[in-house]
Amino acid sequence: MPEPRLIDGRDLAPPEPLELALAELATLAPGEELVLLLRCEPLPLYSILERNGYGYRATLRPDGTNEVRIQKV
Amino acid sequence: MQPTLSFEQAPPISVPYRFFLTAPLFGAVAGLVLAVLGPDTFQSRWSPGALAMTHLIVVDFMLQAMCGSLLQFVAVVAGANIWRPRLVAAVVHPLITAGAIFLASAFLLEQQVLFLVAAAVFVSALGLFLTVMAIALLRTPARGMSIHVLRVAVFGLLVTLALGATLALTLGLEEHLQTDWSLLALINVHVAWGLGGWALMLVIGVSYLVVPMFQLTPSYPVWLTRLLPAGLFLVLCLWSLQLFAPDAAAQAWQSGVALAGVLLAGGYAVATLMLQSRRRRRQPDPTLLFWRAAMLSLLVFALSWIAFEALPHLGANLRAPLWLGVLLIPGLFLSVITGMLYKIMPFLNWLHLQQQGGTVTTSPNMKQMIPEGTMRGQMRLHFAALVLLLAAVLWPALALPAGLAFTASCLWLEWNLIGAARVYRRYRDSIRASLKK
Repeated sequence: MPEPRLIDGRDLAPPEPLELALAELATLAPGEELVLLLRCEPLPLYSILERNGYGYRATLRPDGTNEVRIQKV
Repeated sequence: MQPTLSFEQAPPISVPYRFFLTAPLFGAVAGLVLAVLGPDTFQSRWSPGALAMTHLIVVDFMLQAMCGSLLQFVAVVAGANIWRPRLVAAVVHPLITAGAIFLASAFLLEQQVLFLVAAAVFVSALGLFLTVMAIALLRTPARGMSIHVLRVAVFGLLVTLALGATLALTLGLEEHLQTDWSLLALINVHVAWGLGGWALMLVIGVSYLVVPMFQLTPSYPVWLTRLLPAGLFLVLCLWSLQLFAPDAAAQAWQSGVALAGVLLAGGYAVATLMLQSRRRRRQPDPTLLFWRAAMLSLLVFALSWIAFEALPHLGANLRAPLWLGVLLIPGLFLSVITGMLYKIMPFLNWLHLQQQGGTVTTSPNMKQMIPEGTMRGQMRLHFAALVLLLAAVLWPALALPAGLAFTASCLWLEWNLIGAARVYRRYRDSIRASLKK
């Protein structure tokens, strides 16, 4: 299992984290995982992911960070 | 976590853009009014030029931009359903534009009938806008202080409209209409609700969300987010009592009520500046700098108000209200609006291109929507125009350069916004063409 790719978007202004995430998704291999850390819930990203055949799982960390794990379905 | 944004309800991009692309043009016209009419405009707040200029900016620049933003913001932030947004925009946008032209012409030409026409147009346009907005805001399941403050702001616009229409009727039917209300009290209350209850309330409500999110600052303290709108609303209600109190009795407590409102506004400016000083990203972008200038203007406004109260010979000067007006209208509101337009339009471009099916390779990134250099250039010109406008209040002979600088700044803003709209159109067309292949 390859190491997941990580984007820490907590100190980036919207939609920079989403732009970075989309750039990474373009080269994400099947089975590979992209982890996105944010301070908000990226609803626009969710709808883009659903439209383009990616699965995601979002969990809220105790410090308020939203951790979104994305994989190609 | 910060409040989230929902884009499922976002109206078509043409809905906000028609408001955004019209707004700066009337700022440019307002600058020309000052340049052409010259020093007489800044003799007092009651000069026809000052009244026309003020309404061109507050109605056709500010109201256009704020209505366009609110249609977008309420859908995105509150996830609220706006009834037929395309139709509402198609009706409200041209009517506000026409109404502001009638109103400015009424002041400049001193034609009574034009006040009546303007009142009828505004009541129709804003009546529809307010109804749609109130239903959306009352029905939304979203909670949060931003939503509550937006509701109060929409109520503030309703009161401003009602008082403005009453004023227009009073001016338009001078010989036929007798009212128990003093004209000055009506104007005082109309101005306070327009600038405080609508415009400032809207800026406060929006800032709770956009300052932490886009400027990467900590959130506003919860107690402050409650105190500001509640305090401001109470102040506005007390201030409105002057409509029903005899002048002499009203005078005694009016200045205290106004001072409370000014302190709340000044406190909000200080709180925002302090949050901005604790932002997590050090590199400032034009939106942050516009917001910072806006908050400094609001702070100087509050300090000037206090100085005018403390030094009555200064406050009694006919140009003192103009000084306050320049700090508040171009200084606070136009700075915030411009800064937000530079954030909103690239964001909407990017988002709608994504929704069209664009990919990373076919869509430009945010920074390519409006080049940073051109935003900074326009920002410097806006600040220079603001300084010149303040200088022209002190030395009205500077009216010509101040008016021309303000016009140039508004035209440059327009050019930058048109550039963003053209980028959107170009990439949208190329995405559509690539999807057809």
